Amino acid sequence: MEFVISHLVKSYGSKQVLKDCDFVFEEGRIYGLLGRNGSGKTTFFNCVNSDIDVNSGDFYFRSGKDSQDKISVLPEDIGYVVSTPTVPEFMTGREFLKFFIEVHEEITPDKTIDEYFDYMMIPEDDRDRLLKDYSHGTKNKMQMLVNIIAKPRLMLLDEPLTSLDVIVAEEMKNVIRSQKEGRITIFSTHLLDVAVDLCDEIVLLNHGRLEPIDKNNLGDSDFKEKIIAALRDEENA
Amino acid sequence: MLKEFRKTLAKILHLRSIIGYNSLVFALKKTPLIGKILPDRLYSTTFLKVIYWILHVIREVFELFFSKMMGLGCVYTASLVAVMLYDTGKKLGDMSKQYSFGMFALLFFLIYAFFGIVMNTKLFEKTTEKDYLVFMIRMNAKKLDLTLFAYDLARMFIGYLLTGLVPALFGVPVWCWLGIPFLAVFIKLFAAGFLVFRYKIKNRHHKPLTGTPAGDMLKVVLICVPFPLLFFMITGGYYVPVKYLFMISGVFILSGIWGLFELVSSSHSLHRKALHDGAIIEKETVRAEKARVRSFKSMKVNGTVKGNKKGFEYLNALFVKRHFKMLMLKPIICTVIILALMALYISGFIYDYYTESGYEDCIKMVITNLRNLILFKGFEDPLNPNGLDSEFQFFRYAVQNHLLALFIPIAIFDNTYKSTQAMYINCDNSLMTFSFFKKSKMIIRLFDIRFKQLVSINILPAMAMAIGCNLILFATGGQDYPFQYLMIFAICACMCISYSMYWLSIYYLFQPYTTTASVKGGAYNAAYITFSILMSVIVWIGVRSQILAAIMLVFTVLFVFFARKLVLKRAPKTWRIKA
Repeated sequence: MEFVISHLVKSYGSKQVLKDCDFVFEEGRIYGLLGRNGSGKTTFFNCVNSDIDVNSGDFYFRSGKDSQDKISVLPEDIGYVVSTPTVPEFMTGREFLKFFIEVHEEITPDKTIDEYFDYMMIPEDDRDRLLKDYSHGTKNKMQMLVNIIAKPRLMLLDEPLTSLDVIVAEEMKNVIRSQKEGRITIFSTHLLDVAVDLCDEIVLLNHGRLEPIDKNNLGDSDFKEKIIAALRDEENA
Repeated sequence: MLKEFRKTLAKILHLRSIIGYNSLVFALKKTPLIGKILPDRLYSTTFLKVIYWILHVIREVFELFFSKMMGLGCVYTASLVAVMLYDTGKKLGDMSKQYSFGMFALLFFLIYAFFGIVMNTKLFEKTTEKDYLVFMIRMNAKKLDLTLFAYDLARMFIGYLLTGLVPALFGVPVWCWLGIPFLAVFIKLFAAGFLVFRYKIKNRHHKPLTGTPAGDMLKVVLICVPFPLLFFMITGGYYVPVKYLFMISGVFILSGIWGLFELVSSSHSLHRKALHDGAIIEKETVRAEKARVRSFKSMKVNGTVKGNKKGFEYLNALFVKRHFKMLMLKPIICTVIILALMALYISGFIYDYYTESGYEDCIKMVITNLRNLILFKGFEDPLNPNGLDSEFQFFRYAVQNHLLALFIPIAIFDNTYKSTQAMYINCDNSLMTFSFFKKSKMIIRLFDIRFKQLVSINILPAMAMAIGCNLILFATGGQDYPFQYLMIFAICACMCISYSMYWLSIYYLFQPYTTTASVKGGAYNAAYITFSILMSVIVWIGVRSQILAAIMLVFTVLFVFFARKLVLKRAPKTWRIKA
């Protein structure tokens, strides 16, 4: 399974944020979407998640590299974890999971609610508290957890490690790694170290275009300098 | 010093006009249809900026005179009426009319200025331009506050002086015309000085200077006290001699001088701290907005939902349980008030009947009318069976022909708008990030559940009003045609259903909120304004109740059907998080 971005354009007034983007994302890999602040990472995710309309272009799934079929992206195909976790604050963690599982009739959960909580390392005494009283990190875990339960084909992670403490960030990284099989994961960040540490591939969002970075270069000592130079180039563009 | 003042004021006004212009362009660009056409370069079009600046100056001039004209207009009109009354009652003694007019004008102005100017002095008010200038450009907060305050003082002085010129030409005493602007300046100085003094005291304990219920109550009491005193003074033919009014004015002048010293001696850090805290004496709308969001979020785990509710039914039941007070309090209080008023009136009526006609006749009357009520007949007086002459005939006419006016109380009692705010802040805002929540079949499933829930909440006061209307009908002779009582229930129910559907559907079709519960969408506002105008016309239309019942039934069915269809079709595109 591949996720294809084809000639995607998105403008806000006269400012073109995404300029004729083309890219193919492959299943089972974590893609680090790297770009400077304001480069359009969130806009790209919002377009894919159909939160905003695109000006032109298309995105779809296809079953293989040589396949000509275009499989439409449905809302249930996408899991979206945003950097500022938003969860329904009037529910407890347990109530939210119960509701989420019931609404997704097509899903057969492979764990009980408490097993899911254990999997995400959410403490027992948090499980029956209102979500409004959860810490930032636990809210983030809840958001990740429901997206894991929904088993989407495409997982969009918009800077999910921002402002997490080192322990929670490490736990989240492990969860993301363990969930990569059978789906396409796109992880946006503006932190190069995080991208290098977690992702199988790095994609630069630069000048409104998606540019792959050769994964064989990941180990090079001057790899970081090359990326920084590429991103800095934006200033002179 | 004057040069420094001019320089600072120019910076403030320049920034104010930039903020105003950009906000206007932003609002226009967010307006449906127009927004799509307008280009981004509008933000930098000099020609339009100049036009905006001219309009801004016109607005400043208008504001300069309008409030003063209104204030002085009220003071002078009241003085004129008082002079006429006293003159007719020969209570002016040997005072000339002109002199006595000046006396009353000074008295009324002192009262008006004390409340109007003191309560309207917002030295520490947090505004966008202050925020930028103090916290981003790091301007001296004291210099900024004092410059703005001096600008306000100058505007007020000029405003009163020029507005009072015309009445002065028509005979208002010169001391009154010239005295009022000076007095206003000193009262404002006193108010500003008092604010500084109050903040110094409060700040000692590091408390922000926010409004309190006790403070608000004190304001209400202070506003209410002078009016009975004035009433007794005028009806009794008394007056406050000019020399005492001059003495009171002198006290204000001295207080103003004290206020000026307080202002000048206040430190830069005090002004900066005052601005930083808060948020202090924020604009009422901002304070109310924060309080509203806080009230939505103040909830506790109060058990969970019993029974076998699942999915969206479960979500909705939990939402109602955790927001019970917010959702139910208003409709329940309104219902109880309506029913209690009716019960009081009926009890009073029965008691009067009992004292006038005795126990046995009263019991007979009550039993006869309970029977009549059950049989859908009208009120019957056993002592005077033919007497249907009632002081309620006007209300009967209203119930027969003007039930559309019930849209006004329905609009007041309805809780749907507030409910949609709570839905967004505590629920939809977060769930909208999940793809399942944006599927049309999911949207309409939750929409239907919420619609039924809102109707079941808002129907309580609507039914209480229907009972009230039916009691009026009952007391004034009963039904004009069979099932009229039931028709009134149907009309009230239809109004409640339509109203709930209206608010819920425009929430789904124009989702107007971003991170707070304040409306940001131009389309939502346009829908609201159009609806309000339509309603203000409709409520006056007279329609006989049987025709209205038929119209309302058909309208409600069609409205619910089409609004629901529209939501099903459009909401997947419109009901989403706004950037």
